[in-house]
Amino acid sequence: MNTQTPSLLKRLLFISLSLALVLLIAMFLGLSMGSTQTGIHAFLQNLTGTGSSDSMLDTIIWQIRFPRILLATLVGAALSLGGLVFQALLRNPLAEPYILGISGGSAIGAIIGILMGFSRFPGVSLTAFAGSIATLLLILVMSSGQTILKKDALLLSGVMVNAFCAAVIMFLISLTQDSRLHSIIFWLMGDLSMVDIGHVGILAAILLPCFILVFWFSNSMNLLLMGKEMAQTMGVNIKAVTVILLVTTSFMVSATVSYCGLVGFIGLVVPHLLRLLFGPDHRVLVPACVLGGGAYLVFCDVFARTLPEQGEMPAGVITAMIGAPLFIYLLKRTRR
Amino acid sequence: MTALLLITIRIPSDARTVTDQLGRLVTVPDKPQRVVSLAPNITEIIFAIGQEHRLKGVTMYSDYPPKAAKLPMVGSYVHLDLERIVALKPDLCIAISDGNPKVVAQRLESLKIPVYAVDPRDLNTIMETIIEIGKLLNANKQAKLLVQNMRFRIQRVKSLVAKTAHRPRVFSQIGISPIVSIGTNTFMHELIILAGGINLAAGPVSYPRFSLEQVLALSPEVIIITSMARAAIFEKVKSEWNKWPDLPAVRDKRIFLENSNLFDRPTPRLVDGLELLIRLIHPELFEEVD
Repeated sequence: MNTQTPSLLKRLLFISLSLALVLLIAMFLGLSMGSTQTGIHAFLQNLTGTGSSDSMLDTIIWQIRFPRILLATLVGAALSLGGLVFQALLRNPLAEPYILGISGGSAIGAIIGILMGFSRFPGVSLTAFAGSIATLLLILVMSSGQTILKKDALLLSGVMVNAFCAAVIMFLISLTQDSRLHSIIFWLMGDLSMVDIGHVGILAAILLPCFILVFWFSNSMNLLLMGKEMAQTMGVNIKAVTVILLVTTSFMVSATVSYCGLVGFIGLVVPHLLRLLFGPDHRVLVPACVLGGGAYLVFCDVFARTLPEQGEMPAGVITAMIGAPLFIYLLKRTRR
Repeated sequence: MTALLLITIRIPSDARTVTDQLGRLVTVPDKPQRVVSLAPNITEIIFAIGQEHRLKGVTMYSDYPPKAAKLPMVGSYVHLDLERIVALKPDLCIAISDGNPKVVAQRLESLKIPVYAVDPRDLNTIMETIIEIGKLLNANKQAKLLVQNMRFRIQRVKSLVAKTAHRPRVFSQIGISPIVSIGTNTFMHELIILAGGINLAAGPVSYPRFSLEQVLALSPEVIIITSMARAAIFEKVKSEWNKWPDLPAVRDKRIFLENSNLFDRPTPRLVDGLELLIRLIHPELFEEVD
C-alpha cells in the first residue's frame, strides 16, 4: 500500500484539480446566465469593474445567482456522495438515497412541515430530518439483527419503505387544496430558486463536516467492496462503519431535501460516470463526487434557468431528463 | 377593520411607512414609479384605477385588460422569477397573501425592495384592497369612485333579489374530472348567495370534490360551469349532464358556461360576475323589465 501512496496522491491531486476546473466553469456560466439574459459580457464587465456600475446587475449576480450556484454545488455534491456511499455499502450499483426511501421519508417530513405552516428553516428542515431518520430506523429495524449487512434485505426494505413514502406523499398532496399545493409541488420537483446566502451558509456548515467524515472512511469503503470477510480481516469494524455512513448520508440527504426538495438521479449518474472515468478507488471517488456532483447540478440549474421562455423550471426536472437517458447509455456501453 | 387602518408616519425622505393588509410595516415610496404586480388580480386593480403607467411588470395570466399582457412578465404568481423582478428595478412590489409564496416576499425585502401584501377575502375586503392600492399609488380619488360604483351595483342586485323569495339550488362546477365545486370560503359562494341562489356545495372545504351520484342527489336547478375549459369541452360536459333528464337543471336547460375570471379573481370584475349570475339564477326578475 505504502508504495502506492505518492502515485495515489498525484492522481488525487490531478483529478481534483481538473474537476475543480470543471466546477469553476460551471459556476462561471451559472453566474453569467439567467432568466434575464444579461450575458457573459456583462458579467465579465461587472467582475473586472469596467463598464458602468449597475447596482441592479450587482444584485442579480451576487445576491440571486451566487447563493443559487453555491446551493446547487452543495446539493449536487451531497447527493452524488450519498449515491456513492450507498452503492459501496450495499454493493449494488442501483442503490441511491431515493431507492432506500431516505429522500421519501424526509419529503414526508418536509411536506408535513409546510402544511403546518413552518418556515423553511429551521421548521421544515427539522421535520424533514425527523422524517429521514424515522425511515432510516424503520429500514434498520426491518432488516435488523444479523441481516443488517445483507444487501438484499436492506435494499428490499428500502424499496418497500420508498413505495410507502410515495403513497403517503400522494395522500398528503390529495388532502391539500389551497395555494400551498403549488409550493409543495414545485418543491417536490426540486427547486433551487428561493435561497439566500444565509441559508447556504447553514447548509455548508452542515454538509462540509459530513464530506470530510465520508472521505475519512473512503478506504473502508474500498475494503467493504472486496467483500465482508476481506474487510473484516483488514480490520474494518463493518457494523460501525455501516451505521456511521448510513446516518451521515441520511443527514446530508435530509438537509438538502428540506432546502430544495427532491432532486433526482444525481446520486445515480454522477458516481457511475466518475467510476467509468477514474476507476473504483473511493479515495479518489469521494472528492471527485463532491466536485463533479456540484458541477453537474450547477450545469443542470443553468439549463433550468435559461431554457424556458417564461419563468424558470425546477432543476430537478432537468437532472432527471438528462440523468435517466445518460444512465441507460452508460449501462449499455459498459456491458458491451 | 382596525388592523387594516393605514398608519402613516412621516419619514424625512420621500418615503413613508405603512401597515399592509397582513399587519406588516412596510416602507414605501411616496410616489411609486416602478411597481411590479405579483398577481393577475392586482394588475387588474391597478388598471381599473388608471395607474397602469406606474406598472412595470406583471405575472403570467395577467390577461385583463388585454393591454396588461404586453407588460414584462416575472413568472407565475405561485412561482415567481426573482431575477426578472429585480431586473425591472421596482420601487414597490404588491403581493397577494393567498398565492404568492412567503419566501419570495422575504427574499425581495432582503434585497431592499418593499413588498406590500394585500389580502382580499370577500367583496368587502376587495373594496378595501382597492382603496389601499389607491392610497399607495396616489390614486385615492379614482379608487373611491370605483368602489362607489361597485357598491351601487351590488346594492342594485340586492334590491332586485329582495323582490323574490325563491332561492334556486345552484351547483357551481369548477372542475370537470373529477367534479369539483366551491365551498363557503370562496368568492363564488358569496356571489351565488348575493344573486339569490343556494350554493349546494357550501361547507368548510374550499374546493370539495363530488361524485356524479352526489350531484344527482343534490338535484341542482342551475349548473354553472366556470372552468378554463374551451367551448368544445363544455359541449361534452353538457351532454354528460344531459344523460340525466330528470335533473331539474337539465329539464329546464339551465346549464351555463361562464368565464371563470369573473368569479374567482378578487377584482372589480366580480361585480360583473354578480350581475351575470343574477340573470342566470333569476331570469324571471328581468323578463318584466325587458
